[in-house]
Amino acid sequence: MSTPMDPKARAEVRRGWLLSAPALVLLAVGASGPLLIMLVYSFLEAGQYGNVEWVISFKAWFNVVMTRDIFDGTLGFADAHLTIFWRSAKLAFLTTVFCFVVGFPTAWFIATRTPSMRTALLFLITIPFWTNLLIRTFAINQIIRNEGFLNTGLLYLGIIKEPIVMLYTDFAVFIGMTYVYLPLMVLPLFAAIDRFDMRLLQAGYDLYASRWQLLRHVIVPVVKPGIISGSILVFIPALGAYVTPRILGGGRNMMIGNFIELQFGQGRNWPLGAALSVVLLVIVSVALIVYTRFATGGQDKSHG
Amino acid sequence: MSNDVAVEARAACKVYGQGAGAVTALGGVSLVIRKGEFFTLLGPSGCGKTTLLKLIAGFESPSSGQILLDGQDITFDPPNTRPVNTVFQSYALFPHLTVAENIGFGLKMLGRPKAEVAETVTRMLALVRLEKMADRKPVQLSGGQQQRVALARALAPAPKVLLLDEPLSALDLKLRKEMQIELKRLQVETGITFIFVTHDQEEALTMSDRIGVMQAGHLLQVGDPRTIYTRPANRFVASFIGESNFLTGTLSGSDLTLDAGPRMPVERADNAPVSGHVTAAIRPEQIRISSDAGSGIAAKVLDTVYFGTDTHCVLALSDGTEITVRLQSPVSGDVGLQTGSQVTLTFEPGALIVLPEVA
Amino acid sequence: MADRSFSISRLPGFATIAVIVFVLLYLPIAMLVIFSFNAGDSVAIWEGFSLRWYPEAWQNEAVKAATLRSLQVATAASLIATGVATMAALGTTRRRATRGQSFVYVMINQPLMVPEIVTGVALLIFFSSIKVITGYQGLGYLILAHAAFCTPFAYLPIRARLEGMDLALETAAADLYASPWQTFRHVTLPLVMPGAVAGLMLAFVTSLDDVVITEFVKSAGQDTLPTYMLAQIRRSVSADINAISTLLLLLTVVLLTAFFLLTRKRT
Repeated sequence: MSTPMDPKARAEVRRGWLLSAPALVLLAVGASGPLLIMLVYSFLEAGQYGNVEWVISFKAWFNVVMTRDIFDGTLGFADAHLTIFWRSAKLAFLTTVFCFVVGFPTAWFIATRTPSMRTALLFLITIPFWTNLLIRTFAINQIIRNEGFLNTGLLYLGIIKEPIVMLYTDFAVFIGMTYVYLPLMVLPLFAAIDRFDMRLLQAGYDLYASRWQLLRHVIVPVVKPGIISGSILVFIPALGAYVTPRILGGGRNMMIGNFIELQFGQGRNWPLGAALSVVLLVIVSVALIVYTRFATGGQDKSHG
Repeated sequence: MSNDVAVEARAACKVYGQGAGAVTALGGVSLVIRKGEFFTLLGPSGCGKTTLLKLIAGFESPSSGQILLDGQDITFDPPNTRPVNTVFQSYALFPHLTVAENIGFGLKMLGRPKAEVAETVTRMLALVRLEKMADRKPVQLSGGQQQRVALARALAPAPKVLLLDEPLSALDLKLRKEMQIELKRLQVETGITFIFVTHDQEEALTMSDRIGVMQAGHLLQVGDPRTIYTRPANRFVASFIGESNFLTGTLSGSDLTLDAGPRMPVERADNAPVSGHVTAAIRPEQIRISSDAGSGIAAKVLDTVYFGTDTHCVLALSDGTEITVRLQSPVSGDVGLQTGSQVTLTFEPGALIVLPEVA
Repeated sequence: MADRSFSISRLPGFATIAVIVFVLLYLPIAMLVIFSFNAGDSVAIWEGFSLRWYPEAWQNEAVKAATLRSLQVATAASLIATGVATMAALGTTRRRATRGQSFVYVMINQPLMVPEIVTGVALLIFFSSIKVITGYQGLGYLILAHAAFCTPFAYLPIRARLEGMDLALETAAADLYASPWQTFRHVTLPLVMPGAVAGLMLAFVTSLDDVVITEFVKSAGQDTLPTYMLAQIRRSVSADINAISTLLLLLTVVLLTAFFLLTRKRT
């Protein structure tokens, strides 16, 4: 019997596809397929009352970065759009860096505890990760608002005379995103540090390294895959954040996510919204490709 | 075909993959296993012994050839229709079922009445001496106990043939020795045909009625332990089962003129050449060393190594061939062989066997 | 840390930062919970213990409707997600790796890799056309969308469970006269069950917490609890939101604890 493939193996492959089919259909209809339709929409004309006119147009793509003056028709950069892009990139980057700065010591601390303590601390990190993003952002809102806990406390103690305005600033968005995305940094860092062979430290000390030198020359290079995954896991949702800037940034301090939403609401420019979404998707895909290139051997994006 | 045959493989062949990447796991093995015997498939890992077992169990089907059970062709029957059960290397006990449920699983699947299942389970628990463990889960058992549950589970449906895939390899030495005796006892008590797969030659020699030695997908020799040991069919069998020294020489009639000089009486293995330049094997414990020059092979002592009960003596013949001789360690002192001293080696007629040439 | 002995893995300042992180991680949530029991309206000034916000929140018809809708959607979506994820996990694990398998894997995990806002927008566009064509405005859209993004969360623990399962178990069942169906019924299914239950819980929590995609997919009058809260927070802050949040937090923590116990027991 010189069949190209053993019938048993072929039946197994067919069974695999059959079993996967419902999931594939569900995700094609409920996730992947609509992305393609969105791409098509970005090449259509905006309808007057929302939705689209079925006319091929590159206007939306043009409008992503350029604008035509309403009065004299001259071309110019869409400053408002660029400001929003810049703010999103800046806030996502700062959030990622700060999450790393506080997340690394935390992950290290957890990884160097006794096993039972470690399980407990990991659970404590995981709970906020799974609890409602909205609630956590709302909790921050309550703390930092003018009449919130922080200002009330500082006023009561006489440290300040007037409430510090924190809510509806970029700073509030930055603090809020750091707060909600921190577990996404700590978990992969922990996974990497947990695999780190502590005997390397003995070897390092033995070879006259100081603690700082060890951190810089031994620990960080070895746990780099964890650092990369953590950074990507924080950067991606931070860049596309919608809830946090909406609750903490107010209407003026928009990020890309809110700007996209605007196009489907008051803006009534679905094609522009679709084009912006495609841009965001491309940036995220590039980040993911970089991640898989440089962090292979690290853990995947499984949560918890 | 006589009706005392339990299992027969006819030119069973198994090839994995295709084209250039194809790997032949089994290259046309024909074998007859008799009813009620303890048959061992012995060979190094990758020799195809487990593949052959899988073909008999039905976990794989052969690329060509036939498998017969009780004279019936079962080559393509699915495993759940074959009256053959397996003791797996990893035991494969169902972790969510109790010991009793594990043992009763096969009968339950066969749709036997509850009372019969319960009765058999009780009998099996007694057989493997685990009466008190009936309600435990497998994880609560020691390795040896898990092993016995696996045995009881495979024996419970009273299969025509029991297949054992290296079942003792996960146990430590002491437990392994106990289980060897236990297995042999169970086989005699139940009268079921056992096909036992192992890479451990000592296990094979102590337990089996007959042994089939395999290498690289081929069956090299089938015979009872004594024959396999004393009349190895070729160089591989001679060195895989026990240790052997190999001597070369020119054969004429029943005498071999060694390259190292003297002429010695020899026996011939099956298929061994009748004349010409040949290789012969001799076991290290069958050689005697005497310090006086006499009729025998002259040799020089290179080294002696103390192994407790034995002392191994390494010697060189005049043509440079190295020979190992195993001596019983004396009660006190050493074996009295000075490194560098000249000695004479002798052995009984029949100890030196001419082997077939390697194909 | 007055310990003078040299600890090989201790790095200066790390423990302090970690402790501060843990405190700050829980402080806002703790405040939120505490002030849900405040007698006054303020979320900063304690005016005594009271349970008034809980019945107050529940008497609000909008809250009641949103809660019910959230539970409906989460139940339906997590059941669908767990069903398809279990089948897919059975189809993609414990066999030779093929190219098709990694395709399935990428498809299933796709919702984890795309920003929620993008998925939300894409679904809005897609469903708005469907709504026009079919005229159907019901909860089906929300359930479908939720089921899709919950699938990876259900799939991961089931897959982990299956991969930890000895392949020989199913072979052993076949050897002991079990038909393929009996093998599935008596061996595979009971062994997958803890993974499936864990997956169901993660999917349920994920669905229950979703804001962004729901915000884009819901038709008029289809607020779930999170989207209702989002709208409320924009308008004003009153302590009944704290009460609702506290209950939602409690539900999440209970489900997560159960999840942890369930996945930890499998030694």
